[in-house]
Amino acid sequence: AEVCYGSLGCFSDDYPWSGSFERPIARLPWSPSSINTRFLLFTRDNPSNYQVISASQSSISGSKYQSYRKTRFVIHGYIDKGDENWLLDMCKTMLTVEDVNCICVDWKTGGRTLYTQAANNIRVVGAQVAELVAVFRDNFGQSPDNVHLIGHSLGAHCAGEAGRRTPGLGRITGLDPAEPYFQGCPELVRLDPSDARFVDAIHTDGLPMVPYLGFGMSDPVGHVDFYPNGGDEMPGCDKNLISQIVDIDGIWEGTRDFAACNHLRAYKYYSDTIVTPSGFLGYPCNNNKLFQSGDCFPCADGACATMGHFADTYKGSSNQKFFLNTADSKPYPRWRYKVTVTIDGSRTNTGYFNVALYTSSENTRQYQIYSGTMTPGKTYELPIDVEKDVGDVTYVKFLWNNNVINPLLPTFGATQITVQRGRDRRVFKFCGKDQVRENILQTLTAC
Amino acid sequence: TPETGGIIINLNNGELCLVSGQCKSSCCHRPDALSLARCAPRAAEREVCSKKSLYETYYFCPCEAGLRCEGDWSIGGSIVNTNFGICEDPRAPK
Repeated sequence: AEVCYGSLGCFSDDYPWSGSFERPIARLPWSPSSINTRFLLFTRDNPSNYQVISASQSSISGSKYQSYRKTRFVIHGYIDKGDENWLLDMCKTMLTVEDVNCICVDWKTGGRTLYTQAANNIRVVGAQVAELVAVFRDNFGQSPDNVHLIGHSLGAHCAGEAGRRTPGLGRITGLDPAEPYFQGCPELVRLDPSDARFVDAIHTDGLPMVPYLGFGMSDPVGHVDFYPNGGDEMPGCDKNLISQIVDIDGIWEGTRDFAACNHLRAYKYYSDTIVTPSGFLGYPCNNNKLFQSGDCFPCADGACATMGHFADTYKGSSNQKFFLNTADSKPYPRWRYKVTVTIDGSRTNTGYFNVALYTSSENTRQYQIYSGTMTPGKTYELPIDVEKDVGDVTYVKFLWNNNVINPLLPTFGATQITVQRGRDRRVFKFCGKDQVRENILQTLTAC
Repeated sequence: TPETGGIIINLNNGELCLVSGQCKSSCCHRPDALSLARCAPRAAEREVCSKKSLYETYYFCPCEAGLRCEGDWSIGGSIVNTNFGICEDPRAPK
């Protein structure tokens, strides 16, 4: 069957839109009037309250839209709504760092229905976005190359549909592209690298829908795909029930997190990448297990990519997966170092030891490097993701403890600690001679 | 998988708490008197800290191991839980 909506063209529900294992149920998309898509424009001339525009020359020329500015769209996903805080906040955050036309796409009426219906309604929304970009091109002289679509969940595939209809579209960012009805489907149906000149994606809920309720795709969809914290389970999403619902940002945010904490992390990370890009450096790697064990570190020249807003600064090879770790609550940025510690001590003892990185003005928390049998003379190594960009480390501190009363008053000390910075392979070496008792900080200075 | 936290004890950072003893970090932190308290990381060197007090929630967490919360300590302060200071390394040269 097929349905046509004037200038937007016709929409079929034959294969591959249905009639496959991944898409068993056929649904024709609703009409534009019943989806009631709205485009909410923010610019630096109207940073705090949006103007509603439509794909007509009069509406746009009457707004603060300027064709010399890059245009970025933000498209929400299933059950969500365009004037939800995160979309509005994302536009406002962007405007603090760049002069753009930021357009939140609100298709909530079309998204608050059966998932199988919403998954087809995005085809009409995508066509409407493409139509608006065409008006920018034809009537205002803005090249599609200067247009960037950011879509979360179903919104990512909506951006893919708009991109498919817009030759030469500059960029699409998929924030945890939706899995059901898209993963394993032909490229025509879902977001894929052919939909724009540069397609990047952030995966944060990659476990399978059945049985884990993982809403996001694990398969790569772009030229570059980022898998923060491995892409399946995000730190801070495993809080107990009451702590998750009564969220620090209120019950509404908590309920959203209860329903899809991992899935929503994608846009929360993206918003932070606008302000602190250096804290989201992705390391090219084949899988998360390798990365977490300390492999794929440090960055070779030009090999690493910055996740999120500035991902298009990456000039390396395509079809690459990137891994990184983030904090468990906002602010989310982290900076990766590898710490290698050689210890000495009065005798072998079980316990753990921490290291903290210092400069003259800044320092990090203590990070546990090892826990177990501490043997004098042995070397221990661990990658850590620190909460602060301390820059060039000028000294470090070592501390050990074993939470047991030690009548023999054992002492331990680090004889050498090397700290390698991930982004540029820079190595900082520190030496120490003295040994300390439990819970006493030993300072090591440059060798 | 990481150690699972409980509801009552062994709580991770960000989880609601009543007393610091419930938290893995042993700091049950509230930003102000009216807000809910959550487990939070202890204060690092050079950060604002609270001295250990009778009350079991803090406006600023106590310091990490090996550090001391240097600041003006007063009887009054410990009653209204406003003994704040800065974490310092006791062995660091002044």
